[in-house]
Amino acid sequence: MALLEVSNLKQHFTTKKGFLGEKTIVKAVDGVSITIEEGKTLGVVGESGCGKSSLGRSILRLVEPTEGSIKFEGEEIVGMSAKRLKELRKEMQIVFQDPYASLNPRRTVRQILEAPLIIHGVGDKRERKELIENLSGKIGLRKEQLSNYPHEFSGGQRQRIGIARALALNPKLIIADEPVSALDVSVQSQVLNLMLELQQEMNLSYMFISHDLSVVQHISDKVAVMYLGKVVEIADVGKVYDTPMHPYTQALLSALPVPDPTRIRSRIILQGDLPSPSNPPSGCTFHTRCPMATKECAEIVPPLEEKAPGHFAACIHV
Amino acid sequence: MDALRFIGKRLLLMIPILIGISILTFAISNTIPGDPARLILGPKATPEGLEALREDMGLNDPLYVQYGNYMAGIFQGDLGKSTYSQRPVVEDLLRYSPATFELTMFAMFITLVVGIPFGVISASRKDRIADQFTRVFALIGVAMPAFWLGLLLLLFFYLKLGVLPGSGRLDGGMSPPEYITGMYTIDALLTGNWPVLYAAVMHMILPGITLAAVTVGMITRMTRSSMLTVLQSDYIRTAFAKGAPENRVLYGHALRNGIMPVITLLGMAFGHALGGSVLVEAVFSWPGLGQYAVNAINYLDFPAVMGVTLLIAVMFIIVNLIVDTLYFFIDPRLKHN
Amino acid sequence: MLLDVKNMSLSLKRAGKYSPILEDLSFQVKQGETLGIVGESGCGKSMTALSLMQLLPDKARLTGEVDLQGELISVYSKRRLEKIRGNQMSMIFQDPLTSLNPLQTIGTQIEESLILHTKKSKEERRSRVLQLLKAVGLPRAEELIDEYPHQLSGGMRQRVMIAIAMACEPQLLICDEPTTALDVTIQAQILELMNEIKQQTNMGIIMITHDMGVVAEVCDRVLVMYAGKIVEEAPVIELFQNPKHPYTQGLLASIPKLGERKKKLGSILGTVPTPGSMPVGCRFADRCPHVMDVCRNVTPAMIRIKEDHQTACWLYDEKEGTANGSAGSKQLETAFHH
Repeated sequence: MALLEVSNLKQHFTTKKGFLGEKTIVKAVDGVSITIEEGKTLGVVGESGCGKSSLGRSILRLVEPTEGSIKFEGEEIVGMSAKRLKELRKEMQIVFQDPYASLNPRRTVRQILEAPLIIHGVGDKRERKELIENLSGKIGLRKEQLSNYPHEFSGGQRQRIGIARALALNPKLIIADEPVSALDVSVQSQVLNLMLELQQEMNLSYMFISHDLSVVQHISDKVAVMYLGKVVEIADVGKVYDTPMHPYTQALLSALPVPDPTRIRSRIILQGDLPSPSNPPSGCTFHTRCPMATKECAEIVPPLEEKAPGHFAACIHV
Repeated sequence: MDALRFIGKRLLLMIPILIGISILTFAISNTIPGDPARLILGPKATPEGLEALREDMGLNDPLYVQYGNYMAGIFQGDLGKSTYSQRPVVEDLLRYSPATFELTMFAMFITLVVGIPFGVISASRKDRIADQFTRVFALIGVAMPAFWLGLLLLLFFYLKLGVLPGSGRLDGGMSPPEYITGMYTIDALLTGNWPVLYAAVMHMILPGITLAAVTVGMITRMTRSSMLTVLQSDYIRTAFAKGAPENRVLYGHALRNGIMPVITLLGMAFGHALGGSVLVEAVFSWPGLGQYAVNAINYLDFPAVMGVTLLIAVMFIIVNLIVDTLYFFIDPRLKHN
Repeated sequence: MLLDVKNMSLSLKRAGKYSPILEDLSFQVKQGETLGIVGESGCGKSMTALSLMQLLPDKARLTGEVDLQGELISVYSKRRLEKIRGNQMSMIFQDPLTSLNPLQTIGTQIEESLILHTKKSKEERRSRVLQLLKAVGLPRAEELIDEYPHQLSGGMRQRVMIAIAMACEPQLLICDEPTTALDVTIQAQILELMNEIKQQTNMGIIMITHDMGVVAEVCDRVLVMYAGKIVEEAPVIELFQNPKHPYTQGLLASIPKLGERKKKLGSILGTVPTPGSMPVGCRFADRCPHVMDVCRNVTPAMIRIKEDHQTACWLYDEKEGTANGSAGSKQLETAFHH
């Protein structure tokens, strides 16, 4: 059984312009089905407005999903009581993009790390102290540094503190929303290394959300590519990166600047801009930019189908 | 078309606001202790006479009936009769409000022509002498109580130097121009009555400055801070990168962007000046709404108080509507969203 | 030589005292060449661009010589610089969403450069603006000219910025992270456009970026900056295949590469020193895995390792790739991979 099983999840937002304005529905997540296995990483990749962050948030029920099912260890999360949800949150934690904005500037690192333990009533004072010191060791923080405040740390250190806070309750699943996007590469690599080490040590599962294709490739076992609220391709990392099926994935990969000046590339340049999620194109939402698009693409919504063993794509031309 | 729709929507929004204000004022004025009937008839009134008058004025009806009657009157252009002046309130308002409106507009004019340039200069010369001077000046304007400033100005320009008149709207013995708008400067201008125009302007200078002191301070400070923010923005850097000289950047790019929050504040400043006119009118014996309102309150003249409050509310809302419409024309982002 | 910068240094006044931001930068840009400037946040790469344009805050102290096509622009007055900016030398900024004036139409903003630097008539300007809009690949130019920035997407706005910069056909184009704020597929479009422009004109381009992928794709030669100084300079292929400075090596080792999955990445421990508290000697010493005594005491000078490859590191001699001290350069490359 998969650790997390999401099926047909929808997250629609209604926005209203002004006091007497018209309502528009934004389908941030529109029927997404994914699974995450224990000890594995699912990478979710896509450009702005593809709904990858909304997906992470609605899985944790930080926003209420509009429709669909989310099963954690077989237990349905949608519609679950607040009390049970609180218990379950121990098992599922989130790490945000901006480590500075998500750490309370008036609390010391010790207080920040202790907060989730207190909320969930873990251990007594002495046990908690031990836990925190153990945790800070894992992220490479010295004991003395625990009484410092977030602003006294660099961006990379702050992100490691954010990870430590997520780990405090010994969760099974961590949803990391662009966790390294605000960091310089040399620091980003430290955080990625740490996440990989911790995964091995604690048998963690990750949902790693990022716009950065090379980072996702580096850390993931399985990758889901999203476009305008839908998963267009999902498979093992090797399959997605080495033999991409969906024209969007192919374009995305060919667009990625590669740090190798000798490489000669044939690039697929997509025309036009990303459509607005509030007014997505008909049929296959990618058809307006797709180099392979035909007349049917504007009419048929392509289902996500298994095109090769373990390799799913949503395109009628594959 | 878009603009008309926008204005139409705003006008519709006015209705609930006005109903809210009328309920609020009606409720407040009726909870004030005191009996209008007794005030009218004086200490020697008989209980029967009081009762008859109360009945006659509708004071014995339940509050919601009184309110209903009042609102019914409004829709027929009737705001009731002032218990003090014994004239219809509408007539009184028409008599007193042009004076206040004229003075307030004059103060807003001063605010615009002084406040905005001062703010721009202050921001473009940040931390230099001109900036320090304007900032102190603006602070004094905001901090100085209006009546105190009014008295100082009177003392100096009227009593000591004798260059400006001290009270009223016109020189003694001068008769007002033919009533068109009720605003003497405009009426004098329309009828070509130059001596009266001159006198009317001279009489407005001291109360106008007094009334504008606070709003000039407000606008100067707002313009300065808004311009400073704008001057830090990326598109200003783009303009410099194109090779645009400083003045072109300042007046061609920064000012229009920097003025936006100032325009919003102008609406507020107008309300502030309207409210402030009560004190200023008292200091300069200016026969306007402020004076009328003070009298009305002293005599528990509820219809008059209600009338003044509603009129000021309407003026305030209209000015803010104008401000929002202005915004709509200046900022293309509003038009397309 | 198109641009020749000699010993450029910059200090900014912060909390009452001047602290050094850039120190002793010397580099050149040839016509038709794209020079990359890379480094992580705080290394001074954006400040280098603003110093070249002399678009600095009031309290800045800029020294050294900047020579653009034989004109010593570093000594020019404000008025004379205004004639150069946007004319011989233009700049594109990182954030296209905030770099355009929200209250002016696209047409007006492109036209401004023409008003400032040419004697074209109104009709000539309009046709030039339309021509520029088409040249940067924007559709329906006739309508776009009267639209406002908020009606355009990020990628389109960056194209408008490029049109503004190209309006007077500059000799030197400075791009400060032009694609960082854009999505990958849009970034690809913009890089494609820049390559086209590069081929059509004989402009020199300075490409400032933190993205080694972008460097590899568009640059001919690269400067690596660290803490306000240039630490290495080499042609792009040489830099990627034979990086010399430990910082460059660390940087390249820390990038996740396609095809290498779940492998431990190299990283650089510690943090960049702040302008107020620069260490004596080599500024990278505290984070360098090969630090020697000399590094902490004496600032290493730029030395020429090959004809066109220079670095500022005590590990090397003035001869071809010879390594000083205990660590050979082969060992160095592996050191970052643990």
